[in-house]
Amino acid sequence: MSEVKKYDVCIIGGGITGTALGYFLCKLGKTSIAIFEKSYLSSGSTGRCAGGIRQQWSTRPNVRLAMRSVKLFERFKEDVGMDIEYKQGGYLVLSYSEEEAEQFEKNVKMQREEGLNVEILTPKQVSERYPYINTEGLVMATFCQTDGHANPHKAVIGYAQAIRRMGGHIYTHTEVKNIDVANGKVIGIDTTAGYFACDVVVNASGPWSNEVSKLVGVDLLTESYRHQILVTEPLENFFPMMAISFSGNFYMRQTLHGQFIMGQGDKDEKPGLNFNVTYKFEKELANKMVRIFPFLKNVRIIRHWSGMYNMSPDAQPIIGASEKVKGYYYAVGYSGHGFMVAPAVGEALAELIVFGKTLHTDLSYLDIKRFEGQVSEREKNVV
Amino acid sequence: MRIKEHPILSVPSEKTYLTFYFEGQTVYATSEDTIASALIANGFDVFGFTEHNHPRGFFCAIGKCSACLVEVDGIPNVRACITPVREGMHVRMQVGRGKPKW
Amino acid sequence: MVRRVKALVVGSGPAGLTGAIAIAESLGDGKDVVIIDEGIEPGGQLPKQTHKFFGHEGFYASVRGFEIGNLLVKKVKSLGVEIIQQATVTGIYEDVITVYDRVNNIVNEYLADYLLIATGATEKFLAFKNNTLPGVYGAGAVQTLMNQYRVLPGQSFLIVGAGNIGLIVAYQLVQAGAKVKAIVEASSRVGGYAVHANKVKRLGIPILLKHTILEAIGNDKVQGAVVAEVDERFKPVPGTEKEFVVDAICLAVGLQPNVELVAQTGAKLVYIPELGGYVPLRNENMRTTVHNVFVAGDMSGIEEATTAMIEGYIAGYNIAQELTGKSFEEKIEKMKKELEEFRRGPFSKKVRDGLKKMGIVFPEGGYREEQQVDKGPIGKLRAVIECPQAIPCNPCETSCPTGAINVGWNINSIPQIDYTKCIGCGVCVMKCPGLAIFMVQEKDEYSLVGIPYELLPIPDNGMKVKLLDREGKDVADGEVDHVVLNNKGKTHVVFLRVPKGYEDVVRSFRIPAKSDEFICRCEEITKEDIERVIDMGITDYEELRRVLRIGMGPCGGKTCRTLTLQILSEKTGRPISEIELGAYRPPTMPTPFEAVIKSELTEKSEISGSIQGGVKDE
Repeated sequence: MSEVKKYDVCIIGGGITGTALGYFLCKLGKTSIAIFEKSYLSSGSTGRCAGGIRQQWSTRPNVRLAMRSVKLFERFKEDVGMDIEYKQGGYLVLSYSEEEAEQFEKNVKMQREEGLNVEILTPKQVSERYPYINTEGLVMATFCQTDGHANPHKAVIGYAQAIRRMGGHIYTHTEVKNIDVANGKVIGIDTTAGYFACDVVVNASGPWSNEVSKLVGVDLLTESYRHQILVTEPLENFFPMMAISFSGNFYMRQTLHGQFIMGQGDKDEKPGLNFNVTYKFEKELANKMVRIFPFLKNVRIIRHWSGMYNMSPDAQPIIGASEKVKGYYYAVGYSGHGFMVAPAVGEALAELIVFGKTLHTDLSYLDIKRFEGQVSEREKNVV
Repeated sequence: MRIKEHPILSVPSEKTYLTFYFEGQTVYATSEDTIASALIANGFDVFGFTEHNHPRGFFCAIGKCSACLVEVDGIPNVRACITPVREGMHVRMQVGRGKPKW
Repeated sequence: MVRRVKALVVGSGPAGLTGAIAIAESLGDGKDVVIIDEGIEPGGQLPKQTHKFFGHEGFYASVRGFEIGNLLVKKVKSLGVEIIQQATVTGIYEDVITVYDRVNNIVNEYLADYLLIATGATEKFLAFKNNTLPGVYGAGAVQTLMNQYRVLPGQSFLIVGAGNIGLIVAYQLVQAGAKVKAIVEASSRVGGYAVHANKVKRLGIPILLKHTILEAIGNDKVQGAVVAEVDERFKPVPGTEKEFVVDAICLAVGLQPNVELVAQTGAKLVYIPELGGYVPLRNENMRTTVHNVFVAGDMSGIEEATTAMIEGYIAGYNIAQELTGKSFEEKIEKMKKELEEFRRGPFSKKVRDGLKKMGIVFPEGGYREEQQVDKGPIGKLRAVIECPQAIPCNPCETSCPTGAINVGWNINSIPQIDYTKCIGCGVCVMKCPGLAIFMVQEKDEYSLVGIPYELLPIPDNGMKVKLLDREGKDVADGEVDHVVLNNKGKTHVVFLRVPKGYEDVVRSFRIPAKSDEFICRCEEITKEDIERVIDMGITDYEELRRVLRIGMGPCGGKTCRTLTLQILSEKTGRPISEIELGAYRPPTMPTPFEAVIKSELTEKSEISGSIQGGVKDE
């Protein structure tokens, strides 16, 4: 690898976005690529996330992006060659507010128009189907069977192995020191593994997206907020879906190996790259979850960590090609939902880079231009 | 023991369990189990003893041979292999002939 | 209250189901046809059969038994026929027919214009020391437990009897994850199909001919078995005793027809050993000596599920003729022709001889017996068929996309391949119910042999394996070249790289047993697992953790972290101090949620809409 001094595309960030993009670029024949990861693969948000994959979004273009991703996840094992424990156990979205319930009815109508099979459930139906859920206070719920979850670590490593097989290069424990721009165009990248000439640089650095973007003087409007998450000891599998609530502020799923992963958001969290954990989080989450899922009372917590949501002003990803710096692309600001859309984004962005336009999914609504006085829909379905 | 994976048949990954009792011990069964399949799955191979004290298990699994007789909620001579499990059932080994219950 | 029906079918196995289908179809409506069955699930023995059936497409060739069961039950229900399960027809009295409904614990009374009795067969028992010890099971019972209830009644088995049932159950036991130590057969020949025997032999399971079981060993349950050689009079030869350590013994020593019920109708029984013992005397239309009692399936003569289905149709259409007054001769003749075709082969000799005693004659022969000599052009990827016996079966012919395989009008014929047409697609390998077709290609440095594979685990490309011959003996080392998966049909094809010259020898493989040196106790990860992943290029402790799950269990890495770092250090040559240590996270001891709740809350959280949370918009 030391003889190579030029790459067509350099990707900053070895998480799900960077590796998915790298994979699709190689598939399109663009194998002269390098991914630079400052620590180990998936060390950023991907390696810390819960692995949920959902299509029940509140805006049409997001639903389409997610549906395309699900198609690609379904074929992950065959296409990429790694079993990522993908399971379409469904997403049960629980609503505790009348206002939210009304919005959900509108969402479901739109989702069904897009071809998604979504059910609306009354609290009684939720109780009947899932006798282990306490439905006190529940107004209604929606359920989509083709939503699901997978193992995000294996997905990154799967893509990475495929990239290496196809001839792409991955540099881990390598930091990007500078992005070289001349006459408004990207010409190279300087890293702790040396300087490489290149035509395209893609910022897929997740939590560090804006720090990295400053290297080319472009403000991506993103900020990182800590989110905490914990996991329990394993139990026999009986909980097939991801249970999530925006109004209730929680999510939980049972992994293939029987452990429950769960978390909630903190409205008082300040932006910053803080990877510590607080006991306060455990207390709040424990009280809430044991009330809703009483079987958790005697289940033990074994590990508690944190990860970053790289937030954008409207909680939707910021993806596109920079107009200020030619050859500089970005795929950031996923606001905690990068894993589930990564395959479709990787595919579309690779197409954008190679062909100049996307073929499978439209990404234009996610361009950063939308913040310049344009009206954009705000994605409401986020925890 | 329960089969966890099979090259041809599907084995559901999520199971709901019922509990019943065999000789006072709690046994976990699925809603598809018969008393015999649940006992075997939980490692209980001896279902009772004959009049001459020979241990008995089951043999044909389709209710014909009468090897698998057990006592269920006090009622004797129940064929374990064709009786589905019910939540809370009390099953005991049948020793010799059944005892009448009134 | 007596329930009156036009046709009462006893038994919802293949014969009962097709009989009911024939009657209901002909009546136009199934409401006057009722099927009564003892079992918990309909289908008789079909739901337990995970192997693919022989025969031809019209009778579900290459479809797995349990799928056939589902199809027939669906069809019968769609015709409006009622199937009552967990109910036994207990008596044919002078006045009524009694049906004991076990679910409601009540005896119901029936009257029927016509009876179709398809009560199948039960397993024969065998006399040997301690034969009632728990752990001695009928082969059918083991099949029921494994394939219907997903429960294994033991870990290592001895099978007594090398007929089709013994051979099939042996194979299914391996599929379910058990070990089969041996199959003992008292006669000097394997009674079942050679293709079933071959499947089992190449897994390394010995078939001991002229051997029988003497004793089951154990206190409360089977812990072992003693077998010995037998002479021509089936007497054990002293001094030849061998002990096997097994925890279950499976008896597959033959079936006997369940004639209890048909006998109560007054129908005449005759003793015909070729058909399994006492069977009802009946004519070509499956009618007994009682004019409104018909029979079909194993109860009328031990044979196969396919012939049971055909007999069911014959009986059913005959009953339909009488009920409607219309003629169904064409359908009946068609079915009789099918039966004739099926019974032409050498395996049907017993049945033909038996039926002759009743005055029913079935012709034999008319099929090609010669094995193909031409093995095809060297170097071309092609199929090689090892089908040594004439059995009624032709899915290889019907599935070949180029028409390269020929069986012919008599489906008992040995197949022949026209190698000018064979394109090496491998579809026949996946379709053959006997798993008797292989792929072969001689290459420059090695040869490829593709074998049909229905076991777990499915090997990975590049996996080093031991290559086995047709007898299941190790002959060479090799590796898996690639696997062609068939997730729909479940017969995959594993292509093995074998040394040149071994294309005609290697027909199986085994994955060498793991060393089981555990590093991570919680997730059961071995040293070998870790080294294998490091070899794949994953050299970061955190990445290793994420792929293998080391340290993600309840002990939080206390057992495995140091050992894993040591292994990484050894394999990569980097000293431990230079390897990035993974993060340490709370809690250091697993803590129940209940204990956390009891801590004083700094803020009280409540549900019911008052929770503020989620991501805030600016």
